[in-house]
Amino acid sequence: MLAATALLCGCSSSVVVESSFPTPLVEPLPVRVGLIFSPELHDYIYTEDIPEQSTWTITLGDANIAMLEPLFDTMFMETREVPELPLNAADQRGLDGVIRPMLEKFEFDVPIGQRDQFVEVWMQYKLSLYEPNGEVVTEWPVTGYGKAELGHNREDAVRKAAIVAMREVGATISTQFASQPQVTYWLEERENAAGLPTETQVAN
Amino acid sequence: MQQDCPPKLKSPISGAVTLKAASLVALSTLVSACGVTSRLEPYKQTDAVIAAGEQVVVLARKNHANHEAEEDFVDCISDALADGKNGIAVHSSTEFEDMMYPWFEPSTAPLSTDDLSTLLEKPEVMQRVRDSGVRFLVWLDGSTDRVASGGGITCAAGVGGAGCMGLAWWEDDARYDATVWDIKELDSAGTIHADVRGRSVMPAIIVPLPFIARPQAHACKGLTQQLEQFLTSPTGYGAGPDLG
Repeated sequence: MLAATALLCGCSSSVVVESSFPTPLVEPLPVRVGLIFSPELHDYIYTEDIPEQSTWTITLGDANIAMLEPLFDTMFMETREVPELPLNAADQRGLDGVIRPMLEKFEFDVPIGQRDQFVEVWMQYKLSLYEPNGEVVTEWPVTGYGKAELGHNREDAVRKAAIVAMREVGATISTQFASQPQVTYWLEERENAAGLPTETQVAN
Repeated sequence: MQQDCPPKLKSPISGAVTLKAASLVALSTLVSACGVTSRLEPYKQTDAVIAAGEQVVVLARKNHANHEAEEDFVDCISDALADGKNGIAVHSSTEFEDMMYPWFEPSTAPLSTDDLSTLLEKPEVMQRVRDSGVRFLVWLDGSTDRVASGGGITCAAGVGGAGCMGLAWWEDDARYDATVWDIKELDSAGTIHADVRGRSVMPAIIVPLPFIARPQAHACKGLTQQLEQFLTSPTGYGAGPDLG
């Protein structure tokens, strides 16, 4: 028993969240957007030492980009990756705005030892929209929740729950971005400037 | 006058046979204690049936207020509907969700046929649904839960050997609702409620002997049979009794 406990205490669980995410079925907004994917987003790793369980390491960096890049490519008329703010004149040219997503919070729960339980994951991103000159338009927190049946493999259940949570984040961004008040006003300004109608996405 | 008692004859039934008989009786009692009781309540609102070239997709309700139907239960229903020579064309659940992303995620999926109608007003969504060939959406809600358990088994091992002794039992309840939406008519075609309760027992006499009831498997089978009739018979449940 003591040997088993000692063995358990030394265990670690590692999850690499890899998935291909579908592109959203939405009408693109008629704006050109620069995207900033920071090193923190690319290399995001969450580590937590859970008492009486193990040390969990959850790698999300690649999954962040895999989820966000096709999402933004579909949501906007044109996107391109840009360096960190402030942008120089050349980088600002032809852009209506700049978006920087950040993964701010990650939490998860793995039940111990009971039947019929679920693994749960909560994630919170911050989506910051800027004018090309760096002026903040809005900073929008977007949360996602996912759950998966515990089964026999805890790591696989955490991975599945994280994927569900990320899909939820993508669903929220793609369906509700345009209806954020400051974004709606920003889109109307672009419409007036371009003299073109803006077809905004209607949130469900 | 005292008479000697006639000598007692040895009973033809030996102790070993008596023990065997007692074991059989006990085993029969245990086997009869485990089993499954089912209740299926179908309700069909329309005469709609699936036509050639049309498909059905089975999805789990995932808005988090409810119990979410297990992934393997959804797969069981999908696979069973598609099986056999009279199998129905079933669209893959995950492919449908990916194809319709983000409109069938837990937080965005339509909760009513009115919501579905609103969703299908988006031309790109309507076109995608048309391209998929899906006519009927089957929403699965519910779960299989352990509702009671008792008893216990003790196992021990020693120099002379090892073994177990005792009796454990448990009862599972599989309750599911299948709601069928007709995408073409933008209306609910009906519902089927399944409630299957099963009790399992495991006596241990040296070796544990499991007698497992499988209510979830029975629920899958029952729901599939009802869905097949639902989707292929205009009145839903085949010809009535012959009263002639």
